[in-house]
Amino acid sequence: MNHFSEDELIAHFYGEDAKSAVTRQHLDGCAQCASAFAEIESDLSALKPVEAPARDEAYGGAVWTRIAHSLPVYEAPRRSWIHGRLIPILSYAAVCALLVAGAFVAGRQWEHARQPRATAEDKAPVQEHVVLVVLDDHLDRSERLLVQLKHADGDSEEISPMRDEARSLLAANRICRQNASEQDDPALATALDHLDHVLAELASQPGGLNAATITRLQNEMKTDGLLFEVRVLRSRIAKHPGAGNHRSMGGTA
Amino acid sequence: MFRMGKNDHATIQAILCGDKEAYGTLVASHSGSLFRAAFRITGNEADAEDVVQEAFLRGYRKLEGFESRSNFGTWIYRIAVRCALDRLASRNGRQERRVAEANDPEQDEVQLADETAGPDRLLLSGEIGALQEAAMQSLTPTERTAFVLRHMEDRSSEEIAAALGIHPNAAKQAVFRAVHKMRLRLAALRVRA
Repeated sequence: MNHFSEDELIAHFYGEDAKSAVTRQHLDGCAQCASAFAEIESDLSALKPVEAPARDEAYGGAVWTRIAHSLPVYEAPRRSWIHGRLIPILSYAAVCALLVAGAFVAGRQWEHARQPRATAEDKAPVQEHVVLVVLDDHLDRSERLLVQLKHADGDSEEISPMRDEARSLLAANRICRQNASEQDDPALATALDHLDHVLAELASQPGGLNAATITRLQNEMKTDGLLFEVRVLRSRIAKHPGAGNHRSMGGTA
Repeated sequence: MFRMGKNDHATIQAILCGDKEAYGTLVASHSGSLFRAAFRITGNEADAEDVVQEAFLRGYRKLEGFESRSNFGTWIYRIAVRCALDRLASRNGRQERRVAEANDPEQDEVQLADETAGPDRLLLSGEIGALQEAAMQSLTPTERTAFVLRHMEDRSSEEIAAALGIHPNAAKQAVFRAVHKMRLRLAALRVRA
């Protein structure tokens, strides 16, 4: 059996041995080590802590009084230019930049929040206004064509532009008619449908327009009645609140 | 162990900002414990007084290097131990005593301060404390300081090592050597008794 050295037993006495439980167990079973430890314990226990002379509560003050005069005063750390000036300036600038950025973001958010509502409110009137302007323009041109047709006397100089104008109006008329049907406006749709027939006849006469053809159209297509309908429609458009300040350049009968 | 309140850190900050008088509160708080340790190490009241003053003076000069996470009580205690060790070494030098680190019982007999009371007379007079002090004078300053811190101040080897600025194993060996020498002295007393 390996016995403990004096150093190991001293360490055990002071509770600084790494394996205290093992040491204790060994001491229980080893008379030699137990005897050695008992001697160490007895010797060290006999060494009582040295009692220092008593010092009252005023002792600390007395020590301070003795040393205070020889102590210099620490100077408060001077703030460097960086700490004293630059950092406050940068802080101020950062705060300003933050405020500006915040205001910008808030403005964008506010604008973004307003935009859809404004669009929703304004979209329908604008669209309606455009439709009315286009329709009024179309009826204006159609009215002038019908007036020309009413007063035509077979002069080729008058007839040729009428056919071209009829072809030009035909495409626009079909769009307007389709829109009138979608808008559930039967009066307008009927008038435009009637106009479509007249324009188609004018635009697609195989032998070209002549005095006889014009007379036939005036009679068969009742262009006078159609002219009246167009004028009524134009007056209705002029009274519509969405028409705005648009003024047609309508012709005269 | 010393416990450092939040006030100690605040006080140190105030001192470093120019409030010298604030140091007085730290001196008043820790003087008692420093004096007790200094007296046990030096074994002399006047030396202990000087050690306390020297420790606080050194502490004040080093205060800028004090780390805020440290405990001021532990920090100034270590400084005081160093001061006491220096005081012991200086005193031993003045008395021209030969200090040996060797663990030789015969040499210990030579090292013992013979002008002080011998074991026989101490036994007869029953002055156990004086005998103990005589035995402690056979120790080197490092051994004595290590023994006082271990046996009387109940400091661990790590704390002793930190206070003495040596490795923990060296601190342990210093304690072992001190106990060994002390026991030799006590053994002689027991035989004569």
